[in-house]
Amino acid sequence: MNNESISVIKVRDILMVTMPSDPDDSTISSLQNKVLTAMERTDAKGVILDISTVETLDSFFARTVSETAQMVALMGGRTIVAGMRPAVAVTATQIGLTLKNIETSLNVERALDAATAERPRDPR
Amino acid sequence: MNPVLPGEIAIKSESDIVAARRTVRDAAMQVGFGMTDVTRIVTAASELARNVFKYAGEGAMTWRQLEEPGRMGIELRFIDHGPGIADVQLALQEGYSTGAGLGLGLPGAKRLMDELDIQTASGQGTTITLKKWRMI
Repeated sequence: MNNESISVIKVRDILMVTMPSDPDDSTISSLQNKVLTAMERTDAKGVILDISTVETLDSFFARTVSETAQMVALMGGRTIVAGMRPAVAVTATQIGLTLKNIETSLNVERALDAATAERPRDPR
Repeated sequence: MNPVLPGEIAIKSESDIVAARRTVRDAAMQVGFGMTDVTRIVTAASELARNVFKYAGEGAMTWRQLEEPGRMGIELRFIDHGPGIADVQLALQEGYSTGAGLGLGLPGAKRLMDELDIQTASGQGTTITLKKWRMI
């Protein structure tokens, strides 16, 4: 029923991962495996997770994003979550989804600038 | 604007959680909520629909439009015949979870909505009613 899937493409040294707008739980769960496999296969330095079309970020989705970012960090990469919608940011803050230790960017373009800059920012 | 017709959908698979979100989004928009409130309502529905599936295996969600002088609203009700919630106060505490979650689902839904009512007992199933209002 759900034909929306996660797309992963490599741009320069970065994996560009795009979430569909309304993924089901299996699709969300497949994020970790897709990203980690692609990290290893493509020798990428980091991940930009584009959530600009995502309309609902609930606690399950947020936890998966957090855990994926932690795993990417263990593999030596950084993750930048890009394009969170204003209404999603308001809602996430209200329910206490902090996305701790995850870098964020207003949009993919800024995330790419940050990711391809000379030195990564110090981890928080 | 046409009033939202009340309805019910079953929650018994993962894809029903997606269907619940879509249904609630359409209904909330039809009631006239702005984008931020629509997102709050859909997010709360997503948490509770998942709880039904995760803890009870199956259940249902009903929705209806509310109308009172000066305000309109939406009511969502999540009904299951699962194990029930042993300690409601504890379940409403942030960070508490009997599953593997963050423990943000139920307290999160409470924060996002205007009213939350829980009818439950161990072994008796759970009915959670959520309401969100907007002034007119």
